[in-house]
Amino acid sequence: MAAVRNKFLVSRESSQFVSAASLRVRLDWFNKLRWGAAAGILVAVTVTNVYLSQSLPLIPLLVTTGVLLLLNLGYVLRNQRLAPKDIDAELRLVKLQMVGDLLVLTTLLNLTGGVENPLLYIYVVHVMLASLLFKGSEIYQITWLAIFLFTAEVMGEYLGVLPNHHLLSAGALTHELPFISVSLASFWMVMLFCAYMGASIMKHNRSIKDELVEQQAELVKADKAKMDFFRFVTHEVKSPVNTAQSAVETALELGSGKMSPAVEDMLTRAVRRLQQATEIVKDLADLTRGGMLKKENLQVVDLSRLVDRLAARLRDVADRSGQKIVLQVPDEPVVITTNLSMVDKIITNLVSNAVRYNKDGGQVDVALTSERKVVLLKVADQGIGIAPEDQSRIFEEFFRSAEAQKKTTLGTGLGLAIVRKFVDDLGGSLKLESEVGFGSTFTVSLPRAPGKALAPKRDKRTMS
Amino acid sequence: MNKKTILIIDDDIDLVEIIRVTLENENYEVIDAQNGDRGVAMARDRNPDLILLDVMMSKVDEGFQVAYELRGDAATKDIPILMLTAVVDQSGFDFNPDKDAEFLPVDEFLEKPVSPRKLVDMIRKHLPTSV
Repeated sequence: MAAVRNKFLVSRESSQFVSAASLRVRLDWFNKLRWGAAAGILVAVTVTNVYLSQSLPLIPLLVTTGVLLLLNLGYVLRNQRLAPKDIDAELRLVKLQMVGDLLVLTTLLNLTGGVENPLLYIYVVHVMLASLLFKGSEIYQITWLAIFLFTAEVMGEYLGVLPNHHLLSAGALTHELPFISVSLASFWMVMLFCAYMGASIMKHNRSIKDELVEQQAELVKADKAKMDFFRFVTHEVKSPVNTAQSAVETALELGSGKMSPAVEDMLTRAVRRLQQATEIVKDLADLTRGGMLKKENLQVVDLSRLVDRLAARLRDVADRSGQKIVLQVPDEPVVITTNLSMVDKIITNLVSNAVRYNKDGGQVDVALTSERKVVLLKVADQGIGIAPEDQSRIFEEFFRSAEAQKKTTLGTGLGLAIVRKFVDDLGGSLKLESEVGFGSTFTVSLPRAPGKALAPKRDKRTMS
Repeated sequence: MNKKTILIIDDDIDLVEIIRVTLENENYEVIDAQNGDRGVAMARDRNPDLILLDVMMSKVDEGFQVAYELRGDAATKDIPILMLTAVVDQSGFDFNPDKDAEFLPVDEFLEKPVSPRKLVDMIRKHLPTSV
């Protein structure tokens, strides 16, 4: 009840749509644009004054361009020295830049024909940008400032308060009231319309973004709850299953030769099923282990040697169904810093899956390639393949495709879930290509060093 | 007849009884303790020939603490210890027998469930031959 009421009472402010870093990328781009604009002004002034026999006021134009250059130099230096951390600080800068740009723009317009100059479109660009970046009243502050500046400029020229610098032969327009009124009216309308449209679209976008962020957090929470549950069950089931298996194995051992065949058969079946249960417990323990990587669990691993060794271990199983495991491993060591037991598990699970679901007499290709920042491990079989609709589910816990179940009753349905989790934990990525009846190829990309995957330093659990 | 004595330190009484049957069948004398403190005391009193020690009892690393304690005591420091480990446990406490062996005060790790045959083999391997 309380929770429901809160949902209505707490009016949360929506988040910003852009991040400080992504905004900075665009701001740097705008700085470049400003250099271009200054160069453009100089070229335009030269062209009009020399070739079009116009006499635009050279000195004021140069001074204004100089101001623009100085301002821009300030922005560039500021961006170089300050890392983009605080989105509010970045947005304050944007506002300042917009005010500066609008003042420079108005001055330039005044020097180059005012209402006669079509470059007044640039006001609209500013309002559009403001409506994308700012919220609520801030958008209208910029919009009204632009409207005020342009209206003041046009009326100033009309009333003779500001000097006229006519553009080409358009001289008379500045003093024609009907033209000015229509220009100003459409200007106001376009500006306010843009501000309103941008503001309402972005408000909608922001609420969608907030919803997605919230849902993402819910998903993470649900996943954690699931893992906690698995961990709990594993812990509780582990000992009884172990002890029961030991009991039955001991009974078989002690009674060997003294039991009726029927009893021995029962106990053998029981052991086999308990071994299955133990496999599930082991897999669940793997799946729920860890969390983030800890520095003390990392070591330097030569993947070439590890792949060699693991493949050798699985050759017997492959031989039994006439399969070949073909390795394509560089001669030189492929060295990465990682968690050995997790990588071991990833490779073992992928290769033993490939062998398990391959066709009899088929081939399993295991290829290791080394790139600059990552190493790629590719495991390909020629087996049953995975239907497109199953490909996203294959990494879920306990999911086994219908074909896989038909092929064998072995398998806990946890192998690929473990692979996905460990690849994630190690900061890598995983790709699956598969065609039903032709086989599957899993490609794991692992970083040479764990980098971001590493847990921030915390107080260590000590053992002794 | 000089029967060898084996001490089992494990809080799972069912498992203790199962192992007892196997070992008594092999003509060992079996004594047991259900917690670490009692295990250490019994090791001092009875001076067993070998100790089977469960890695996880009620506390996360009780088994290791017991092993360090036994190794630190002149009376018990030479008794071989076989450590029974569960599948990688839930606390994320991750050790690697190959890597950590020199820091660990035990002679062998046996992952549960241990088959009776393997258990007997391992005990024979680690029991001191001369008495």
